[in-house]
Amino acid sequence: MRDFLQILLVGIGDGAVYAMLGLGLVVIYRSTGLLNFAQGEMAMFSTFIVWTMWSLGLPMWLAILGGMAGGFCVGALVHQVAVRPVGDPHEKPLAVVIVTIGLFLGLNGAAQLIWGTLDRSMPPLFGRGQVTVFGVAVAWQKIGAVIVLGVMVLLFYLLFQHTKLGLAMRAVASNSESASLVGIPVPRLLMLGWGLAAAVGTAAGVFIAPNLGLGTNLMQLTLIFGFAAITLGGFDSLVGAVVGGFVVGALSSVMPRYITIFEKMPLAPAFILILAVLLFRPEGLFGKKQVTRV
Amino acid sequence: MSATVTTGASSHRSPGDWALKVAPWLVLFVILAIVPFQFPSFRVEQICFWMTLAIAACGLNLLTGYNGQISVGHGALFGIGAYTTGILITEFGVPLFGATVASAVVCFAAGILIGLPALRIKGLYLALVTLAVATLFPLLLEQFSAITGGSGGLQITSPQLYRGEMRERPIRLESPVAGLENDQWKYFVFLGITVVIFILSRNLIKSRVGRSLVAVRDNEVAAESSGIPVSQVKIVTFGLSAAIAGIGGSLFALDQGQLYPSSFTIVLSIYILVAVVVGGAASIIGPAIGAVFYGLFSDVIVQQMPDRIQPARAVILGVLLILLMLLAPGGIVGGFRTLQAKWSARRSSTHSSGPAAAGPEATA
Repeated sequence: MRDFLQILLVGIGDGAVYAMLGLGLVVIYRSTGLLNFAQGEMAMFSTFIVWTMWSLGLPMWLAILGGMAGGFCVGALVHQVAVRPVGDPHEKPLAVVIVTIGLFLGLNGAAQLIWGTLDRSMPPLFGRGQVTVFGVAVAWQKIGAVIVLGVMVLLFYLLFQHTKLGLAMRAVASNSESASLVGIPVPRLLMLGWGLAAAVGTAAGVFIAPNLGLGTNLMQLTLIFGFAAITLGGFDSLVGAVVGGFVVGALSSVMPRYITIFEKMPLAPAFILILAVLLFRPEGLFGKKQVTRV
Repeated sequence: MSATVTTGASSHRSPGDWALKVAPWLVLFVILAIVPFQFPSFRVEQICFWMTLAIAACGLNLLTGYNGQISVGHGALFGIGAYTTGILITEFGVPLFGATVASAVVCFAAGILIGLPALRIKGLYLALVTLAVATLFPLLLEQFSAITGGSGGLQITSPQLYRGEMRERPIRLESPVAGLENDQWKYFVFLGITVVIFILSRNLIKSRVGRSLVAVRDNEVAAESSGIPVSQVKIVTFGLSAAIAGIGGSLFALDQGQLYPSSFTIVLSIYILVAVVVGGAASIIGPAIGAVFYGLFSDVIVQQMPDRIQPARAVILGVLLILLMLLAPGGIVGGFRTLQAKWSARRSSTHSSGPAAAGPEATA
């Protein structure tokens, strides 16, 4: 039992990170309606920015803020030059998929060009210590991840529910045509959404890098976990991303431990989850049901 | 991705037009025939790899280009083909090209299996699922290392006569023709298979079945109501597409003689997709052109660059993909068709007047 709790808590800590990436994916899905396959690479890129600032001697928190700002610029730029000109994702899915894959390749290659192919090491943000609760050891890093996620969710809540900017962003998400008719600068808000999503991803990268080592394929597995989280939660639900993140984290930590066939592939439960949800409940737990007229 | 071009044959045909149509194929034939004698062995080996990529891209094109189902996971099917071939030869002593046929069958089944959920999962979401398959595949290989060899790799061996006794030896494609080196022989065998696959898929596309593929892509409801069995078409297309990708993978296995999970990551899937998109989705020859383009780019051009800036390869490909989608979504073939249409429209408007001036319209 203690063993189980231990693994579960590790999974929940990981889940918080998947949720962070998931939040970014949801913001992009809600605003531009596309699944951003380059989200992981955007996060990897901005995590390298954090690493650069940190290794230049800046304190870690300042480096992270800098990385988020850098990520924001990357996200906004990517939207302006690549995503926006392609058009509606649901009318031209192939073109949009290709563009995000182009971004995937481009950002990955750019990071290799700038930072090389060797893995860098980054210190854990909350140190290497752990606390023991009810006989179960929990790393501060995991607790920190949950706290950071909580703060992010709070900020998102305040932004979307209590500011004019957030209201405008919600208007764009629910109906961009009407929004633009009432004078909301839609393209600028979409750009903002992409920037925000990339900035949030930075946090996910910062939590993962100390474990895996900071390399250019840092986020490739995490991206699928993030997608599993938002598939379960519903592609357009921020709450769903958080709940989904925790469930996916717990599942992919617990199942490989007890089911030998998943031993070397924690990704398998996440994959099965994606498949099952899309097949039987495409709107996920908290998403809006999509209805199309013939 | 808009429709392919099936233009009505131009109203007046002259022998000149006919020659114009045949000449490029003749030139291509001659080039393909002299390539293995003009280039050093390592280049011929590389070209063999491009052909396996072209075959996989041809399979993906049927599915994504013509049928509109997006797969970012064909690298996994390519891998299934490769590993099936390797395991059949090593463990069961199946003859080399017999294993290729068996791999095609196995991949057809795998394709059907993926195609079933794809009936309900469409567009971007299908892309997501296939992306997850591609990411999962190398891990699967590690998980089942008892049969795949895991990250230690799978050495493909077969019993061969060696110094008077039968022994397990690494497979080799040996030339039975006196004048041909082994790599030249391999080149022609691969070329033959590639050409046959492209011709077969051309015939498929020009047939009633092929038209139903396109109809399903363009409007499922309309296709259904004109009597096309949509589900059946989609599933079988997935199976066929997977089988073709599997043949590509099988040839890759025969070519390499050893397989590692690291060859079948998401990056492979992306490169297959790149070949389709750059060459021109929904054109028959497009994927082959795309594969050659990719090969020339990454095996010839990039190798000229200093080591330090070689990752620029990915940057250039990424930027190229984005630019293509913005400027010429039809890829090389689509761009060529547009130019051709413009040119012939201008020609016919100067030479003749009246309604005959309507040139073939390329919408790809």
